[in-house]
Amino acid sequence: MKKILYILTGLLLASSFVACEPEFSKPLSDDLYTSGDADFSKYVAVGNSLTAGYTNGTLYKSGQENSFPAILAEQMKLAGGGEFTQPYYEDDSKDIGGMVFNGSTVILDPKLIINLSAGAPERINETPTVDVMQVHPGPYNNMGVPGAKIFHLVAPGYGNLANLPLQKANPYFIRMASAPDKTIVEDVLAQQPTFFTFWIGGNDVLWYATSGGVGVDQNETGNLDPSTYGPNDITNVNVFAAIYSQIVDALTANGAKGVLATVPDVASLPYFTTIPYNPIPIEDQAQADALNAAYANYNGGIQQALAGGLITPDEADARTINFQLGANALVMTDEYLTDLSNLGLPSIRQATADDLVILPAKSVIGVAPDPNNPQLINGITIPLGDEWILSAHEVGQVRTATAGFNQTINTIAAIKDLPVADMAALMEDMKSGLVIEDGSMYTADYFNGTNLDNLTFSLDGVHPTSRGYAIIANKFIDVIEQKYGAKLPKVVPAQYPTFDILPSN
Amino acid sequence: MKKILIVLAFLSFGSSYAGGYRVALQGQRMLGMAHAGLSVFKNAETAFFNPAGIAFLDKKLSVSFGVSGIMSHVKFQNEYYNWAYETDNPIGTPFYLNVAYQTSDNVSLGLAIYTPFGSSSVWNDWVGSDIVNDISMKVFYIQPSLTYKFSEMLSMSASLIMAYGEVSYNKNINRYLADEQGNKTNVQLESGMTGAAGYALSMAFKPSKNVSFGINYRSKVIIDAKYGKAEFNNVPAFLSDKLKTTAFSAELPMPAELGVGMSVKPIDKLLLAFDYNYTYWSVYKELRINFKNDLPTSVSAKNYKNTSTMRFGAEYQVNDKIFVRAGYYYDESPLTKDHFSPETPSLDSNNYTFGLGYQMKKWAIDFSLLYVDGKERTDYTYVNGEGPSAHRFGGTYVSNAIIPGIGFTYSIN
Repeated sequence: MKKILYILTGLLLASSFVACEPEFSKPLSDDLYTSGDADFSKYVAVGNSLTAGYTNGTLYKSGQENSFPAILAEQMKLAGGGEFTQPYYEDDSKDIGGMVFNGSTVILDPKLIINLSAGAPERINETPTVDVMQVHPGPYNNMGVPGAKIFHLVAPGYGNLANLPLQKANPYFIRMASAPDKTIVEDVLAQQPTFFTFWIGGNDVLWYATSGGVGVDQNETGNLDPSTYGPNDITNVNVFAAIYSQIVDALTANGAKGVLATVPDVASLPYFTTIPYNPIPIEDQAQADALNAAYANYNGGIQQALAGGLITPDEADARTINFQLGANALVMTDEYLTDLSNLGLPSIRQATADDLVILPAKSVIGVAPDPNNPQLINGITIPLGDEWILSAHEVGQVRTATAGFNQTINTIAAIKDLPVADMAALMEDMKSGLVIEDGSMYTADYFNGTNLDNLTFSLDGVHPTSRGYAIIANKFIDVIEQKYGAKLPKVVPAQYPTFDILPSN
Repeated sequence: MKKILIVLAFLSFGSSYAGGYRVALQGQRMLGMAHAGLSVFKNAETAFFNPAGIAFLDKKLSVSFGVSGIMSHVKFQNEYYNWAYETDNPIGTPFYLNVAYQTSDNVSLGLAIYTPFGSSSVWNDWVGSDIVNDISMKVFYIQPSLTYKFSEMLSMSASLIMAYGEVSYNKNINRYLADEQGNKTNVQLESGMTGAAGYALSMAFKPSKNVSFGINYRSKVIIDAKYGKAEFNNVPAFLSDKLKTTAFSAELPMPAELGVGMSVKPIDKLLLAFDYNYTYWSVYKELRINFKNDLPTSVSAKNYKNTSTMRFGAEYQVNDKIFVRAGYYYDESPLTKDHFSPETPSLDSNNYTFGLGYQMKKWAIDFSLLYVDGKERTDYTYVNGEGPSAHRFGGTYVSNAIIPGIGFTYSIN
């Protein structure tokens, strides 16, 4: 009996130690993910804020950690990818971004947050700790420089602190340049990338657009010298093409492979599509009559100008202000209207669906700036200034330039046998509604309050959330897989952050 | 009574390894032969398997008790996202106590205390945390029975079932939400020990010395936890007035089970048993958690299906004292396509059992060993109902379990 007991006890103990684990018929293994024809050992990301990981109106530490190149590089590590470095951000101790000059002067605001007690996005009430004087020379694998336009990539001195007061240098690049006189492209090439993503061109139109069209369209002027461009100008398409081609040549000179990406359309950014052109509800005829009476002189003047042959009937129609029951269009300034100031008539009209009101106008529209005169209301009795609206004409300028840039990108890609990630199409989907692999839907459906979990765009209305950057990284993976026969795992956007919600600020 | 309940509650119950959250470990002697005990009337274990069979025991009084140790592993992977995780389940130790007593030639009494259901899944720090971090369900039944022997061939029995259960469940609020320090916001649901009642009916038929039949029906029991407590941890400041400790109610159904069994002795020393169990899992349609404050009701669809289990067992008597046993059963998972949730990752399984019994004058000791070999399955579950954040979660699962057990029986005339 005892003997049997011993044997059994032994057997039972043995069985519990053996406790063999279950095995998959096809377990995940190292050789499942591959780089195909590509070589991920030295991946360098070239671009602007979208490459840097800029979100919620600034670049901050955790935003940078979730930049699309950082996400992509992490996946590449399963297929021969090497270390991926990003510009130094350890000094962003509060994870709020922004930047100061010499310890105190704020030169870039910290991140946008939602203040629940106010209900709207606003800058977090903290002082940035990132200092433009604290230079940590690169080069880094992530060569995304917020604010960079195509010509900045090859501009000497763009990383030189001495040029900052002249607005010829970029505070982000100052901190990361390997030396003050190096260009961004020089720092890229010095790393001898085996693989690259190249996504540029957004700022070449967007600054013009986000400023509400305050700037010059250099396609209309034909100015080919970018050193004379103002910050809000649209870059000439030929300038873009020449530099783009030169950079792609340099990137591929040693046989490196990579992906190019298109520039998003202005109307795919919630910054331009969240505020409707007709946000003025009128439920009372007396109110409409009163407003129309206020514009009776102006409307009468327009009829005189028409009778005098100064303007076309179309322009007279467009300029006639008319309020009625229901949703009414904003009254706006439009510099492209015929100048009738010598008749005492301002260049104003009511907005149409072709005009795009920018997101910051939310805090201006409907406000009476003079407390002693509540009748004067922005957007109704005070025409909204040019800086708040991208007029139909300006939208056309931006669209034409964007289309020109994207045509250049596609042409050069075809010549160089490089794949194009159509980020213009993706970001349109990210705005209007994108259903991803797991069935969840991502949108830019701001401010409805019920959908905070699935927002693709951050509070600045232009840059994606980290969730959006995860979707972008997945798109790059798709393109890399298709073109180079690689196989990489995807990421789940829902595991990435969006923005902070604070009870108060 | 209360003290007993507390003691019982302290015994941990173990990962579910049989279909759904059924735990079929109610007698070591029978477990050695595939747990096919519906028509095997050898000792007090029949007070669980088929109380009608108490009438055919050859001892007036028999008491059996035992315990098992469940060591289970579940692995999960998903190639699309490069996910690979596995459970870190604690060792479960379900127990039983069975008493069979023939009070007269015709009337017998039985008592079975056992853990028919239970589950424990611990998925630490993993990608499905918005579905489950860890869950533990403990259910035990106390089943007194009355058996009447109509003839030398036929007996029938009726039992009352007093069920007690509690569930403890932790999951994250969603896939991202965290407090200011980055700790994920989660909810801990504690149902508290809740009682419910059911019944069982059974019949034993022994037309000859070498052939027996048995039928047993155990009713469903709905454990209705009315006074559960939901506690939220790591809540970010902006939600602190929403995610507050609150009461909740939820119903958890224990399905009914019908079993028919037959056993034969083709030769004197060999006993063969066959059982068929049909479990009415379709009662588990959804898990609905009603919070007492204004939090929205949480509903997750389960849509379980009824399942069959086929059991084949054999016992060979080596000599007066030693019995060797072996068995096989095939167990179906009640989880339906697109409702495969990692909180109860039950797989179709091949099950192999071995047993050894040593019979003394009054005491007998039985060892059993069960190996559960779960069949790999790729499936999904849908999370968050409808709306933009509704999504599916899943991948490929595989599991196994090794379950040694020991039981004792004391029998006298």
